[in-house]
Amino acid sequence: MTTEETVRYAPEHTPRLAWAQHAPEVYKAMLRLDTAARQGLDPRLLELVKIRASQLNHCAFCLDMHSKDALAAGESVERILQLGAWEESKHFYTEKELAALELTEAVTVLTDGFVPDEVYGRAAKHFEEAELSQLIAAITVINAWNRFGVTCRMVPGHYEAGKHR
Amino acid sequence: MSRTDRLDREVGRALSALSAAAKKGLGDPALAELVVIRASQVNHCAFCLDMHLAIAREHGVGERQLDLLAAWEEAGDVFDERERAALALTEAVTVLTDGFVPDAVYADAAKHFDEVRLAHLLALIVAVNNWNRVMVSRRIPPGGHTP
Repeated sequence: MTTEETVRYAPEHTPRLAWAQHAPEVYKAMLRLDTAARQGLDPRLLELVKIRASQLNHCAFCLDMHSKDALAAGESVERILQLGAWEESKHFYTEKELAALELTEAVTVLTDGFVPDEVYGRAAKHFEEAELSQLIAAITVINAWNRFGVTCRMVPGHYEAGKHR
Repeated sequence: MSRTDRLDREVGRALSALSAAAKKGLGDPALAELVVIRASQVNHCAFCLDMHLAIAREHGVGERQLDLLAAWEEAGDVFDERERAALALTEAVTVLTDGFVPDAVYADAAKHFDEVRLAHLLALIVAVNNWNRVMVSRRIPPGGHTP
């Protein structure tokens, strides 16, 4: 294994703050929220949403976790990789998944403006009301995990698939 | 086009539990309202602004701070160093898509808040971002809150 001997990767960074240890009640509430928000949603779709939001928010820890969970759940490498350019890879996804990804971007990037009517409308065409409400909640919750992960510089690479599912 | 006003009851309870845990651990209701209002300004949440401007006044936050919050960086001594550190962190954590939370911003917050308070301040910023998202996405109109 000569390659492994010669390739030297950059050192791992140190996390800033062990937030869950310092705020156990907050962590408990996050787990409760996560469980509540995923009810009624297709787990495969949910992983795509989580990966795309984590890409937009640059959460390395979350990308590590959700790409591993998606792969373990049988998702294809191609569909995970193309998420970074899903608008030009539409034939990799169903219309319903595309509507969810579009909504994910709009809800994640609120600072660019409101969630546009067209985006909401397309999502509402593919998701019935209760499911759509859960989808909005789930997009919100991955945004929440992203914020903890990025701010605390949580370190990617150590997650094992299924540990937090 | 009308949007859903539906929010799963358990999701709503969990969102509230998160906000309550964060506020309790931060232990500074007036500062909490400044943070919540600033995030709601950045995320353009009309419902949240309406509600929290009312709550801030109940907690005795002064009109001058509320008036100048959107331009806190240029507001001189209207905000003290601790409030400024919290507001800078609020903006950095709210706008993740522009880049990571800068070291200088994090370090300044860590100077003014010990680790337990800092973890709860972060949780509060996350919690208001949650409410901003569920309200803006569903276009919930302002005015629902009665003090």
